[in-house]
Amino acid sequence: MESSSAPSAMPGVPPVLRGILPVLLVLPVLALFAWSMEQSPFATYLLSIMGVNVILAVSLNIVNGMTGQFSIGHAGFMAVGAYVAGVLGLALKEIAISGLPVAMSDQIFLFVALLAGGVVAAACGFLVGLPSLRLRGDYLAIVTLGFGEIIRVVVQNTEAFGRSLGLSGIPQTAGLGMVGFWVFLVVLVARRIAGSSHGRSLWAIREDEVAAEAMGVDTTGYKVRSFVISAFFAGVAGGLFAHFVPIINPGSFTFVKSMEIVVMVVLGGLGSTTGAIVAAVFLTLLPEMLRSAFTSMGAEGSLAQKVDQIRMPVYGLLLVALMLLRPQGLFGMREIWEVLPRWLPRRRKGIQ
Amino acid sequence: MSSVNQPRTEPTGTPLLEADGVSIQFGGLRALTDFHLSIRKGDLQGLIGPNGAGKTTAFNVLTGVYKPSSGEVRVAGKRVNGWLPHQINRLGLARTFQNIRLFRALTALDNVKVACRAQAALQVEGVHLGAKVRGAMHNYRDWWRAFLLTPGFMAEERELTQQAERLLEVMGLLHRRDEEARNLPYGEQRRLEIARALGTRPKVLLLDEPAAGMNTREKADLMVLIRKLRDDFSLGILVIEHDMKLVMGICEQITVLDHGETIARGAPEQVRSDRKVIEAYLGDNYLETHGGAA
Repeated sequence: MESSSAPSAMPGVPPVLRGILPVLLVLPVLALFAWSMEQSPFATYLLSIMGVNVILAVSLNIVNGMTGQFSIGHAGFMAVGAYVAGVLGLALKEIAISGLPVAMSDQIFLFVALLAGGVVAAACGFLVGLPSLRLRGDYLAIVTLGFGEIIRVVVQNTEAFGRSLGLSGIPQTAGLGMVGFWVFLVVLVARRIAGSSHGRSLWAIREDEVAAEAMGVDTTGYKVRSFVISAFFAGVAGGLFAHFVPIINPGSFTFVKSMEIVVMVVLGGLGSTTGAIVAAVFLTLLPEMLRSAFTSMGAEGSLAQKVDQIRMPVYGLLLVALMLLRPQGLFGMREIWEVLPRWLPRRRKGIQ
Repeated sequence: MSSVNQPRTEPTGTPLLEADGVSIQFGGLRALTDFHLSIRKGDLQGLIGPNGAGKTTAFNVLTGVYKPSSGEVRVAGKRVNGWLPHQINRLGLARTFQNIRLFRALTALDNVKVACRAQAALQVEGVHLGAKVRGAMHNYRDWWRAFLLTPGFMAEERELTQQAERLLEVMGLLHRRDEEARNLPYGEQRRLEIARALGTRPKVLLLDEPAAGMNTREKADLMVLIRKLRDDFSLGILVIEHDMKLVMGICEQITVLDHGETIARGAPEQVRSDRKVIEAYLGDNYLETHGGAA
């Protein structure tokens, strides 16, 4: 099972730095990567979409996998983040911080917009979660489903959000560096939750809520907190999305999108962070693989263009196959290094 | 037997757990009627009765799973009617379950650590908005410490591990430390549940049929263990048990329930010869055919 995330594996590092060291290390790497990818816009776009999907899947896994609740309105939180960040981005478009290069002030504004989107989404998560997470069972699924639809309908009828036409002209400032940074952050947060005593309490709620409550775990509080964190990252993912696609409209945040994220989490294994990542990457690439497969088979035109419609039945088949062959998902509750073949170096089980 | 029944630590002080005329009603069914109970430190009491008598219901009312329809439950002197189970637990009332409810996919150690952790977390006193907001702020700050792996947080985690290991050792489960709970044999699962309950640092421990499914040898060990726990952790213990030998062997006071009503209360010898108890267990016509007290 989960154990604390390798703090003892960093001897000689001052304890104050341990928490943020990974963040400091990853930043230059990401900057280099983003710079090297500048010449290939399609790869950049695909990687960005992939990154957004990874953020969504990993954050949903905190609620659906670790805590064992069933939320199917993740696209709703994504929409909240996307529109809040998008409107902010539009408002801040013409402004630049004096004394800084334009690119840098753009990134700072983007970061602020993302944070704002995330915080508003988290607030929505709190409002939705507080009443519905007190209940047990399937109520959360129904409430979150309703929430996602409400958001979509509200956006569709609000002038400030561009109604059905959506928002366009949002500055395209979200590069791979920014996306990568948030991917990294959500994975780090998810892993540290899983390895901490908070994560253990979440697992306990997933395993047996009545027993967890009887053992002094404030189950409602824990569920709400995991839900809020999850909604925050969904909001950030939405904000990122809004800053690299040419236009956002309500059609991007439908129930289908929510289900896509749920499929990623289930496919990867409920409770497995690395599983969610692998599944998100795979399902993002799947349409592209189908497209190129159809093209190479000579199905020019119609079929290759219909990949987006074929995608859903393929998801369905995939899920059926998965439930038959491996009902616990790719990795079950474990992480990738726990299921790798034995000859690979493994992380030791248990705590130091 | 009577020497065994002498409490080594004399029950002292104010009652830690009190039920005062507690009744609970599900629709038209009175599951528990006018239930009285008082447990002090060092007490070792039994709660018996035929199937469906309301024993587990009584446990559920005491621990906050059900809210009493009337009457009052007091834990450590506080009235806890309507409190949530985890709030009551933090006042020092822990329980085990009749059908084992471990966190099956977690290791034995993690099972105990969950309980230890919950006890270490901040207790939000009061129900007004200010206290709730303060509690929420504290809790979110606590998560930040986990994300940033602050030295204080790491020290707490190590402390929890040590605590949990000590409890596993007491229950003789230290060799199963990293075993998932679902892979443990039945008897060890029962013991792990007790270890987990002890992790919440209780003042009163409620054991719901701890000997169910155990063989004679394990039962004998369990009797010794329960008494040892009472003395070592200075607990008050209330045991639900079907096994008469076990209950009569270790309990100093026994309450007998039948159809939700308390039909007898007293020392084991007293209860054993009580006419109503015999009727409840052996049927109304047992006494007629066999004559007199058993």
